[in-house]
Amino acid sequence: MNYIVALILGVFFGFSLNKAGLTKYNKIVNVFRFTDMAVLQFMMTALVVSMSGLYALRGLGLVTFPSVPATYIVGNLVGGLIFGVGMALSGYCPGTCAAGAGEGKLDYIVPGLLGFLTGAVIYGLTYEVVFPGISAIANYGNVVLPDLWHLDPFLTVLTFALMSFLLFYLIDRAGWQRKEK
Amino acid sequence: MKAILNYIHKEVWSPYIAGILLGLVGIAAVWISNSLLGASGAFENVAGLIGKAVAPAAFDNMYFNFIMPPGITVSVILVVGIFFGGMLGAATSGTLKWGAKDTANSDPQWKRIFGESTAKRWGIAFIGAIILEYAAGIAGGCTSGLAISGGMLLAPAAYLFIAGMFASGIVTALVIYGKRY
Repeated sequence: MNYIVALILGVFFGFSLNKAGLTKYNKIVNVFRFTDMAVLQFMMTALVVSMSGLYALRGLGLVTFPSVPATYIVGNLVGGLIFGVGMALSGYCPGTCAAGAGEGKLDYIVPGLLGFLTGAVIYGLTYEVVFPGISAIANYGNVVLPDLWHLDPFLTVLTFALMSFLLFYLIDRAGWQRKEK
Repeated sequence: MKAILNYIHKEVWSPYIAGILLGLVGIAAVWISNSLLGASGAFENVAGLIGKAVAPAAFDNMYFNFIMPPGITVSVILVVGIFFGGMLGAATSGTLKWGAKDTANSDPQWKRIFGESTAKRWGIAFIGAIILEYAAGIAGGCTSGLAISGGMLLAPAAYLFIAGMFASGIVTALVIYGKRY
């Protein structure tokens, strides 16, 4: 990716985070309270769109997949478990904090960006103690689900999309959302 | 046309519309430059850059030399783009407030639970940000680099991460909000 492309994609990315409302503390935290499911609706929609597009484009021979994020079961899961604590405490994640900082919010600019840099320093200095061990457990490498479980890729994407639509239906129509007290 | 312009000026969009936009950005990243979106890696690049300038001996390790070499990488430019995207989004809805004092803990929900103290907001946000960045290191990415980018390729890593993130996010919110959950 060159700098110009990265900058333009980043602008659209940040714009979508802002418009989805994810640069607000309450939007992030309330998905964990089931009072506002926008984070989940936003993520699942993005996944359905990009997954369908990319698997279709690959089927047509127009794209090849870049290096797939590695699956190492314990590390991915433990990382996610720690990540959720940080999200519920601060009300942001690295991407939404950068977008919120652009909106001029001081609590995103100062403790947010400084916190990420501090976390990156601590991680980089303890990497050799932590990462090689945890990433060696149940490591499946840069794999995708259809290859791992020998599934038809298009049926997998279709199933994912249908499950997402069912979830959207349950959230929007069947009232799978708590009322704010 | 006018309807579209009016919609762009709205502060918060339907998460579905914003999600479609993010999905298209995810496709574009792969199609144009065969790469994935991400945010947490950029902070590691910058942390290495600062660290090597301030304390070269301490940062002369495997991580900052080979795993995440310091520098103004495309990841950093992408995050700069996210910053300006958030700014653009806020500007279109008239909610851009640069460094205004009341933006520090502007969220009504935060004030209801934690009170108006800026120090408290900044302290908790700072700790949260450290946790987020460290967790992203262990997991192999954050909400954008792993959950969205890995999820759209159907990498199992992404779904393990999302499962962990929601499980601990819910528990953390339960603990923080207590009776007001």
